[in-house]
Amino acid sequence: MKYTITIESENAPGTLYRIAGTMLRKKINIEELHVKEVDSKRHLSRFTITIFLEPDLMAKLIKQIERIIEVVHAEYRAVDK
Amino acid sequence: MKSLVREGVDTIFGYPGGAIMPIYDALYDYKDRIRHILVRHEQGAAHAAEGYSRLRGKPGVAMATSGPGATNLVTGIADAMCDSIPIVCITGQVPMAALGTDAFQEAPIIGIVTPITKWCFQVTKAEEIPEAIAKAFHIASTGRPGPVLVDITKNAQIELFDFDPSAKYTFPTRKSDIEPDFTEQLKEAVELLNNAKQPYMLIGHGISISKAEKELKEFIEKSGIPVASTLLGLSSLSTDHPLYMGMLGMHGNYSTNKLTNQADVVLAVGMRFDDRVTGKVSGYLPNAKVIHVDIDRAELDKVIEATIPIHADAKRFLTAITPLMKRRDHSAWIKQFKALDAEEKKEVGDAELYPKEGEITMAETIRILSEKTKGGAVIVADVGQHQMVAARYYQFRNPDSYITSGGLGTMGFALPAAMGAKVGDPSREVIAIIGDGSFQMTLQELGTIRQEKLAVKIIILNNRHLGMVRQWQELFFEERYSFVHMDNPDFNKITDGYHIPNELVEKREDLAAALDRLLAAKGSYLLDVRVEKEENVFPMIPSGANIDDIRIK
Repeated sequence: MKYTITIESENAPGTLYRIAGTMLRKKINIEELHVKEVDSKRHLSRFTITIFLEPDLMAKLIKQIERIIEVVHAEYRAVDK
Repeated sequence: MKSLVREGVDTIFGYPGGAIMPIYDALYDYKDRIRHILVRHEQGAAHAAEGYSRLRGKPGVAMATSGPGATNLVTGIADAMCDSIPIVCITGQVPMAALGTDAFQEAPIIGIVTPITKWCFQVTKAEEIPEAIAKAFHIASTGRPGPVLVDITKNAQIELFDFDPSAKYTFPTRKSDIEPDFTEQLKEAVELLNNAKQPYMLIGHGISISKAEKELKEFIEKSGIPVASTLLGLSSLSTDHPLYMGMLGMHGNYSTNKLTNQADVVLAVGMRFDDRVTGKVSGYLPNAKVIHVDIDRAELDKVIEATIPIHADAKRFLTAITPLMKRRDHSAWIKQFKALDAEEKKEVGDAELYPKEGEITMAETIRILSEKTKGGAVIVADVGQHQMVAARYYQFRNPDSYITSGGLGTMGFALPAAMGAKVGDPSREVIAIIGDGSFQMTLQELGTIRQEKLAVKIIILNNRHLGMVRQWQELFFEERYSFVHMDNPDFNKITDGYHIPNELVEKREDLAAALDRLLAAKGSYLLDVRVEKEENVFPMIPSGANIDDIRIK
């Protein structure tokens, strides 16, 4: 299944590396990636990432991403064909 | 230094070098407040910090220089990550201007440890230090504990800034750490447990981390539910408690594994369904209702889909559930465990615990040690057969009495971890149980033990082999013994070189008296105990097999 993950995080060096590392552990390839600061006062960035993954692994991946200290919130939705 | 003192740091395990020299220079003026223990290899510093943390109940600190100093910490950091042990590592780094230039002793340690730390941070300006250190200790020790690393560039170590001693750093609870209200799940869990025919409780390291040993006892004594423990849950409940059934896992007890799938309701608290515990997951708990309680939300539904997942600290959960439990008696169910225990004793225990002839066995050594110490010592086990035998046969009476590398399975863990444990709580008898292979991975720490006069007792269970690998080769690789024999050096001569009293024990009739001398020694003491080389650890769940297929021989 194709999914889009949205992650809100601190705008800090290394956060992308941590998120990508979490995906690498499960050998997940990133199809699309977009990062932008969305709140300059609170120094928050938003990651939008598209991946292919088996549906039963998706919720587990989000919980792993939310373990990253810099990550504030993560969610996902299936991409319509 | 002021930031470390503010965090209550009294001990640092470390090793100086070029890029951390300014911090060491500052440490020179703090000798009266901070005890620095000079290890012989940075891996030893990380494991010692783990051992310290396990007995002191607060993060242990390891310090190293840049490059190789930092990379030598890596194994210990990965170990602490797997076993949820709070440690804070502080590494020196080349000056900010030299970062990324392949400068002398430069290693991108943040890049290296990111996947194996709970958090890591590079400090490049002196004024960042106080908050970074405060945050490091906060993150290491809250929620599910773990290792953190703070990398400090040399320029940041040298720059001067105004330290504000009154500064207070507070860190908001992270969203994924907020434990939701579990009133509804608690009701459902109580309903299931109070009506269960054969309920079964599985405990892990979470009990000791949340200091819930008393609450655990109150819960089981009211509910009457039998308990089994994972390797890292050992000693959270005294092994002589009537509701303690034994250890889970690949080399756990026969009854505890064999009957897992007979339970209709399983309550798992502070454990993570490691593959060594579950065996083949598809054959694990196919019919049971599972209540899984863990402080780390990501552990819930990770391996086993729980009927009732509860994101909570073990102590908070147990405190809440006990008053709701009915007093019940599960003696018929417990009798099934006892019947299988008798079988295990007949097939395995009697022969290895009370051998009449042949070489000394690992099991009888642990049995005698357990009897002589009345189960009161802290056993720090390395990795291999001796680890499993110590776990199976030492009769733990007090909490926090079994320290070992569980998740990562790090050979070489025990000697430095025992050293750290002894510093963490000098009042306890700390005994390292080490295989001859493991001992040779970190034996240089005998130098630290000698220099710091640490009364660590050391027992090498020496079978001249990498015993666990040898066992697997015998059972699963048609006795093709590929590189498992060790032509060992004379451990007594080596220990003599470090001026630590020691003995060689080869005969059964000498064993008990040698253990007496080891225990009576005021300082460190080492026994090289020559044990049967073809002793196998049974029972055993073969790798990839169902838990029910546990072999007793």
